[in-house]
Amino acid sequence: MAGMNLWQQLITYFMQNGMYVLQQFGRHFLISIYGVLLAAIVGIPLGIFISRYRKLSSTVVGLANVIQTIPSLAMLSILMLGLGLGVNTVIVTVFLYSLLPILKNTYTGMQNVNKDVIDAGKGIGMTSWQRLYYVELPLSMSVIMAGLRNALVLAIGITAIGSFVGAGGLGDIIIRGTNATDGGAIILAGALPTALMAIIADGVLGFLEHRLDPSSKKVKN
Amino acid sequence: MKKKKWAFLLSLVGVLTLTLAGCGFPGLSNSSSNTVRIAAQSTTEQQIVAAIDKQMIEHYTPLKVTIIQNLGSANVSFAALRNGDADISAIRYNGTDLSDILGKTTSHNPTKDNRTVVKTFKNKYHLIYLKSYGFADTYSWMVTQKTAKKYHLNNVSDMKAHAAEMKAGIDQAWRDRRGDGYDGFKQIYGFGFNHLYSMQIGLVYDALASGKMDAVLGYSTDGRISSYNLKMLKDNKHYFPPYEASPVATEAILKKHPELKPVLNKLAGKISVKTMQKLNYQVDNDLEEPDVVAAKFLKTHHYFEGGSN
Repeated sequence: MAGMNLWQQLITYFMQNGMYVLQQFGRHFLISIYGVLLAAIVGIPLGIFISRYRKLSSTVVGLANVIQTIPSLAMLSILMLGLGLGVNTVIVTVFLYSLLPILKNTYTGMQNVNKDVIDAGKGIGMTSWQRLYYVELPLSMSVIMAGLRNALVLAIGITAIGSFVGAGGLGDIIIRGTNATDGGAIILAGALPTALMAIIADGVLGFLEHRLDPSSKKVKN
Repeated sequence: MKKKKWAFLLSLVGVLTLTLAGCGFPGLSNSSSNTVRIAAQSTTEQQIVAAIDKQMIEHYTPLKVTIIQNLGSANVSFAALRNGDADISAIRYNGTDLSDILGKTTSHNPTKDNRTVVKTFKNKYHLIYLKSYGFADTYSWMVTQKTAKKYHLNNVSDMKAHAAEMKAGIDQAWRDRRGDGYDGFKQIYGFGFNHLYSMQIGLVYDALASGKMDAVLGYSTDGRISSYNLKMLKDNKHYFPPYEASPVATEAILKKHPELKPVLNKLAGKISVKTMQKLNYQVDNDLEEPDVVAAKFLKTHHYFEGGSN
């Protein structure tokens, strides 16, 4: 497609391969979401747990911190040695990276709940489960959501690198662009949707976070 | 105490990781028992053929297919097959396997070389070479039509008289290759080039077309050969082994899903060099994704229904 400028090439690309890009977009999103969801399933209860048993918290957060410091490409390669090529390796990588923001935010959120409120709960005879469900979780929900938001945006970036271990997703398009002779348009065709996905995910979760923030409710009343 | 805690946590993370790794996730067609994994290298050709294989299998069988893209080299995709990370390699070139995997030098007898590769792969590695797609990717000397006319070039040997003044562009990897590399070439053909330029293989076609080189050594299936109307010189001394392109599957997957073999064999002999050049051209030049090109190709040929079994 010589003779066309980058934007014309990009439009041609989307017209010819729209369905394919959409498929990869979906796949990319699923990979990221699965990793983050699994991390939430593990991270949120673990965060609540360590907020109760403070002694454990430094060790657990320390470990999550260590995991976080490993560069993502290195982590992928290390995991690949054990788990082989394919999409599961990427999901596990996303899972490991998402643990820290989710865990830390859950822990912080639980810590920041006003002790007086908890005491009041105790005073009216709530069991500790009821306190967790009716008092602590609602009050810390926005902080936990902020953790999920961080994790998801991070995950979308990591999934793009996941194409190196054959997981598919939008990263495939980017890599193909770097291999092509004149692949500028193809690189953009992969990179723009990836960025868009991250921005949308950030926006939607940011909105949720705001809605769940108890202080924003007060303003309305 | 502190150490114990760490050990406990680490093993917890380890166990979680391993459990996750074994899971199948809906929508991603991975690691469930009726998924076939196809390994594809990072070249255009590999990705197109992998997509063709995928769509063929999904058309004829209820199996799900996932493509493991972007493997760096023939060695990596071979390792993926051996480690059980992949079930089928979209394309393997018997010439590459002979030199890179088996570490042998070509006997310059294609039939014999092919037999060696197919036999060793089956007996030693339990990998089955299926019938060739019908094209061979091989190194090929090429010149522009203008140069061909000027020097009357048809065969590679015809370059001998002009080799001293010609500028030749070659693949970096080829220069030091054993067996079918530059040293062997000089021996067999009895001439070398005074001006030899090593470059990345993707650049040689443009270098030739723009007149920066007089002759280049490229891949015979590249789409740019037809788009630039280049002339491939006949390898009249049969120096370059034909790198016959075939799908290779593990013995295990063929046993588990015997229906795969007839499906892939429907493609046998159906993709000629010209066809492959055309498909490569659509991806490299027309900005179409390999997946899209494969779908169009199979639709025009009705998925080779009623073809050979």
